[in-house]
Parts: sequence; structure tokens; C-alpha cells
Amino acid sequence: MRLKDVFQVQTVSGQPVTVESVTVTPQSQALIVRLPIGGFVWNRPTAILVERDETAKRFPIVDITRILQLWLLGFSLVLSIVSLVKFSQRKERRP
Amino acid sequence: MIDTRNTLQSLTDKSSEQLRPVLERIFAAAQPGAVFSEPVVSGTYTIITASEVTSGGGFGSGGGFGPATPSAKQQPGEEVSQSEQANSGGSGIGGGGGSAGRPVAIIIIGPDGVTVKPVFDLTKIALAGITAWTTMLAVLRRARKASKG
Repeated sequence: MRLKDVFQVQTVSGQPVTVESVTVTPQSQALIVRLPIGGFVWNRPTAILVERDETAKRFPIVDITRILQLWLLGFSLVLSIVSLVKFSQRKERRP
Repeated sequence: MIDTRNTLQSLTDKSSEQLRPVLERIFAAAQPGAVFSEPVVSGTYTIITASEVTSGGGFGSGGGFGPATPSAKQQPGEEVSQSEQANSGGSGIGGGGGSAGRPVAIIIIGPDGVTVKPVFDLTKIALAGITAWTTMLAVLRRARKASKG
């Protein structure tokens, strides 16, 4: 079994929704892990494509909750490492 | 013995075949339809909810063979017949899975154009914050203890 068959990243466009002169096409990205004994799917919305008067505009979908979660995790990790380094330096300086 | 093994093997294969549609349902979460809801119309506004979907699952099977349990009638020292040994085996299959969804954004199509409003999950942020700060405080306390000692 090749790694390409196990891990797949798919970017798919969904069914377009037309309201009067506006057509909205949703786009999503899915991470698929296929194993002989099971599988895993992580599907998230990435953007919407808005078409109006023959002009198309892409609106990205930002996952604010995930960004804040990662930011909190990263901040606490960096702060912990910095504090540990400072404590170890202080310990070394002591006679 | 070989017959029993073949029967158990075919039963396990049959169960695996029955579980295949379940696995296909897990992979159905990869479709865009799972992420974007059906449009909801309210007056001049059309609303679509965009959610993050995660699903996973797995199954496994196994079998084993061993000597038959001596029957009550059997005298000590008496050998177990070949037919009794042939029946000594077992197999099983099990599986599990789950899925979760979380709204990420709301798409509003109205008279004033299209707007994408992000969904802010305060509970998730608060939980992540509490976990991060608790871990950090525990690390700092341990470091302080180590530097004093």
C-alpha cells in the first residue's frame, strides 16, 4: 500500500446556490486517511466563490476558533520553554 | 479441524463485508454536502452554515483454535477424539467509530451582497485557555521547585 493511497487531500466544490443574480459555490478541503481496517476524514470549508454579473470573487472562510486555539497552544508552549530556560540559567549562575 | 477453521474464516470474511458499507459512510463525510448545509431562506435572506466535519472508525477481527475442554464424561488419561478437537475454536469481530461537527462560518446572501460571518466558539477557546495555562503553571511550579532544590 502506497502512502498516496492512504493519505489523500481533496479540494471539492459543492452544489452552487443561486439567489437572483448571485451564484455562490462552496468549496471544501478534505483530508482522507484510508486504512484496510478503518479510516478517518477531516473535512473543512475553505472558501465560497461568488459570481455576480459575470465577475467572480473568492471569499475565504476563516476558522477563527481554530486559529485562537492554536495561538493559545503556541503561546503557552513558547512561554513554558522560555521560563524553563530562564530557570535553568538562574540555577547555573547560583554559587 | 480444517473445516472449522474454514467456517470461522468465512464468517469473519462475511462480517468484514457487512462492515464495508459502514466504512463507506465514514468516507461520505468527505463530500462537500457534509460541510455546507442546505440553504435556509428567510425573507430576502438566504443562509448557509459551513461546518467542519470529522469522522473516523475502524474494525478488527480475530480467531483462535485450541484443544477442546475435556468433557465431564471423559476419564483422566483418556485422549480427546479428533472430532472434539475440531470443534475447539472461536472468532470475533468488533468495531467502532464516531463523527463530530462544528460550525465554522455563516454565509449570508442578502440584498446587500454576500457576507461570511465567522462563528466564534467561546467554550472551546475557554477550555483551550484553561488547559494551556494549567499546563504552563504546572511546568513553572516544577521548574521553580527544581531550581530551589
